[in-house]
Amino acid sequence: MARKRRKSAPPACETAMTASSKPTISALPAALLSALLPGLGQFSARQRYRGVSIFIGFLILTMMTLWYADPRWYFSPVLVWLWNIWDAARQARSQKNGFLLPVLVGLIAAYGIGWQVLQIDFSTADMNRATHILRPMLRPDFIQERRETNEMWVEIFVPCGTDVPTARHEMDGKVAIATPDCAAVLETVIVNVSGMWPNAETEILWETPIGNARMLGGNEDAMLVQNTDENGSLTVLIHVPSLALAGAPDPTLSLGHRVYFNQHRPIGGYELSFVGGEVLKGALVTIAMALMATLFAIILAIPISFLAARNLMSGNPVTMAVYVVVRTLLNILRSIEALIIAFIFVKIVGLGPFAGMLALAFHSVAALAKLYSEVIEGIDPGPIEAIRATGANWVQVVRYGVIPQIVPPFTAFTIYRWDINVRSATIVGFVGGGGIGFLLIELIRISDMRGVSAVFITIAVIVIALDYFSAKVRERLV
Amino acid sequence: MRRPTVLRITLNILLLALLAVVLGVSWNVTEIDFPGLISNLPNGEKIIKEVLSPDLFTRDFETATIEIPFAIPCGSAPDPIPPSSGPRLIATPACADEKTSFTLEGFDLSPNAEIVIRWQFPDGRILTATRTTTDADGHFSTSVDAKPIASAVDGVPSQLQVDTNVSVGNLKTSQALQDVTREMFVTIFMALLSTTIATIIAAPLSFLAASNIMRRGVVGTTIYYIFRSFFNLMRSYDPLVMATVFAFWLGYGPFAGMLALTVVTIASLGKLFSEAIESIDAGSIEAVTATGAPRLHTVVYSVIPQIVPDFISFIIYHWDINVRISTIIGYVGGGGIGYYLSQRINTFAYHQAGTAILAIVIVVWAMDFLSAEIRKRLT
Amino acid sequence: MLRIQNLSKTYPSGTQALKNVSFDVQDGEFMVVIGLSGSGKSTLLRCINRLIDPTEGKILWDDVDITAAPPAELRQIRRKIGMVFQQFNLVKRSSVMTNVLSGRLGYANPWMSLIGLWSADEKKRAIDALDRVGIADKAGERADALSGGQQQRVGVARALMQEPKLILADEPVASLDPVLSHSILQYLEQLNKEGITVICSLHFLDLVHRYATRVVALKDGVIVFEGSAQEIDRAKFKEIYGEEAQEVRAASL
Repeated sequence: MARKRRKSAPPACETAMTASSKPTISALPAALLSALLPGLGQFSARQRYRGVSIFIGFLILTMMTLWYADPRWYFSPVLVWLWNIWDAARQARSQKNGFLLPVLVGLIAAYGIGWQVLQIDFSTADMNRATHILRPMLRPDFIQERRETNEMWVEIFVPCGTDVPTARHEMDGKVAIATPDCAAVLETVIVNVSGMWPNAETEILWETPIGNARMLGGNEDAMLVQNTDENGSLTVLIHVPSLALAGAPDPTLSLGHRVYFNQHRPIGGYELSFVGGEVLKGALVTIAMALMATLFAIILAIPISFLAARNLMSGNPVTMAVYVVVRTLLNILRSIEALIIAFIFVKIVGLGPFAGMLALAFHSVAALAKLYSEVIEGIDPGPIEAIRATGANWVQVVRYGVIPQIVPPFTAFTIYRWDINVRSATIVGFVGGGGIGFLLIELIRISDMRGVSAVFITIAVIVIALDYFSAKVRERLV
Repeated sequence: MRRPTVLRITLNILLLALLAVVLGVSWNVTEIDFPGLISNLPNGEKIIKEVLSPDLFTRDFETATIEIPFAIPCGSAPDPIPPSSGPRLIATPACADEKTSFTLEGFDLSPNAEIVIRWQFPDGRILTATRTTTDADGHFSTSVDAKPIASAVDGVPSQLQVDTNVSVGNLKTSQALQDVTREMFVTIFMALLSTTIATIIAAPLSFLAASNIMRRGVVGTTIYYIFRSFFNLMRSYDPLVMATVFAFWLGYGPFAGMLALTVVTIASLGKLFSEAIESIDAGSIEAVTATGAPRLHTVVYSVIPQIVPDFISFIIYHWDINVRISTIIGYVGGGGIGYYLSQRINTFAYHQAGTAILAIVIVVWAMDFLSAEIRKRLT
Repeated sequence: MLRIQNLSKTYPSGTQALKNVSFDVQDGEFMVVIGLSGSGKSTLLRCINRLIDPTEGKILWDDVDITAAPPAELRQIRRKIGMVFQQFNLVKRSSVMTNVLSGRLGYANPWMSLIGLWSADEKKRAIDALDRVGIADKAGERADALSGGQQQRVGVARALMQEPKLILADEPVASLDPVLSHSILQYLEQLNKEGITVICSLHFLDLVHRYATRVVALKDGVIVFEGSAQEIDRAKFKEIYGEEAQEVRAASL
């Protein structure tokens, strides 16, 4: 690379400094000048480019170290300053000098400070936690076995009051009995159920009157699972959970709590899980968001692109001014990511895919208008002239001379933009713009890594498929 | 190539119908609501106005207070004799009866300043009457109600006080500007480090995903396919999507964002690099191989000189992209200007958000310009 | 008959491309315009169908003043004047058929042509026109899939679609090699023999001798020679072209 540059710009480079272009300054003043202002000595020794580079580099390095204000890094600008004095003297004597030292010092300082600023600390990269995150991700929550459920319950009153009904419940030939009929928190109850499926795993669960489920296994933090005998009966000893009355409006009031017995068995085949369904819905919304955003962007970008096409607007000062203003606005808008625009739209129209769509459309207008205007600038005037020469009116000239030239590249750029918009639609969802991104954030929040994994797979499939599709279409059009 | 016309027309109609259905469904699921947008526009106008006036510089303020006595009802206390120059207040009429209103004017106050008009009752209690702003000449005029509560007590009238903020001292950078500068440094470092680390890792890995180097024998082909698919898969994720998981793993902070950005950049650069390696001229490799050089020497003497320019232009291209992404990755990963911005917007501090957006526009532009210049020099 | 009277053209940039040019073209002539590049040949041809509006002077075609024609009438005039271009000026992404059909726009129903519908008669004409230039089999291909010589034949076919009484050919063979040049000019010669007046700019002396019935030479926007092709010899040619004549001759040999 360095070799190449020397070849391409010989007069400005140190290797070409021969007797033909003697520096105008001797070593000592050059060194003094550089001591005063880094790069000035080199500048005076006719090494303009070198001098300016040194000055800018020194300025950035100094600003960076001063900003970080850690005295340990102050050595770097000082070192570069010293080198620059020595270099000025050498340049004045037309001696060759490399850039290795200051570049190295600058890089060490930049990466060192960067490392500290970014709080890079690999000790936080807890591999244990990583396994806990990754293991469920290997089983994405997309589909589940289709299964049927056999459910039974019995009502127990907590705490005991007057006129407690008998804790016995019959349903579809199944009978569940609890003794005693009522109990206080943490007291023991014997529950018996019969008529269930024989020899099957049965989940036993407590439900409070307001519908909160409480675990009964372990320290009330795991599902209690027991097997029924060959007759479909099961007897189990349970403790009324300590949190049975948590959230109850009046803990002294005797109310009916339920003990549930749930059995599941597969009935063959698979079905979409709840999360899987949400993921697909989110994917649909994301793609639709990108589609609508692209559509609105096209509608706005086409007229704007004509205003941003230099060949159409350079006619007189007024249109030229319009051109400059439009171009500048487009460039500013383009440098603001869609996510940032989405922040603002969410504040204006509220959460939901509409806000995300507007943000994407806004960003795309700027991007598309620029691409379109470049297409218009690249139009070949020849065919237009030829069609005018046949006696066509201006509508026909546009239809046969202009449109065939711009439609294929417009289409190619638009599909390319749609492709980008689908990716952006995912992240626009993060700020509440709806779609699969919003779902991803929610799943992360509740630590459902199996769901997160389903989202990741869906995103990859969509993006890769779209990539392929848009590449194919562009290949055919261009 | 020409299909029967009827079939072609039917096909076109079907395609159009399909397009219409797709657009209709999209319109629905996107919950498009333009009337809602329009009715919410006044709301948005305020936000955008504030964003467009970023908080850059401040001055220290000093509050100046001037006052005049005002008799309610008339005759309960002597009317004041207003001064004829300097900051002064003039009430017309100079006194008023209860439950009437009068006009209060101020002259030669500081121009375009927010002012607070309040009553100080004879017993020292204070009641804010109204707020207004002065015009460019430092003049204001407003109507004030003479409330019974402000009546004179024992011949001592209430005072009408006006507070004006007078700026003193020179302009200085605001807190927001200082914060934004700091966060911008973090952001640029994020882009710098992730690009560098990704380059260091992707450059060797890319050789493993280059078909002209690897697709020899079963092992080589297997490795080729593994790396190819890895790059293609990882590349399909936006760095922000990746950052959600990294932040969940490592906790909020610039480190998580940087790492996520690095992983995606490795995949993207790896793919670009390997394509550059695949497009090198086979002839020169043959020439070096023909000299009987071992495989490593082939790479060093014939492959590397050919790919370096491509690699450098890809790195610069990615540096550009990474600066852009660093500006937003903080939203999910924490750290950097993105995090700062999302917090300001969530707390409705739009002036400060405007400062951040301005900084982003400037930095993205500057980096764009810089990388375009460097690329021009290299080619 | 085409009469060009005191024609001048000054561009907004101040360049004076034509200075008081006057000559007549009789019906059925094969008139060749020669001159250095920049001598005003292209401007002259484009003034005739008013792709460029002249600053001063008149162009009378069968006593109709082209320079004063209002837009609708101008289009009527233009459709009787076919034009062939140095760079072919085809719409590269459109099919050959569409390019040829576009020559018919001056006649076609504006609404039907707008949605791309053409009558069977017009399509037949287009195939016939392509057949005349020997590339009817290429009708369905994209214009940019054709070679340079084939593209120029499409250009000629497009001009034919206009049923022209006059064909303007602006350096029609400058982008082609000598063999292809002759084949294109032979088509023009054939059309000329069928009664179509041809005004063609060329810069190879042997081509001028072979095809022209009359020659007008321009230098810096002024007519420096007008006469039959035989009157032009190497010396005259060198006078018109100056020092570049050697090069031109070398290229034509």
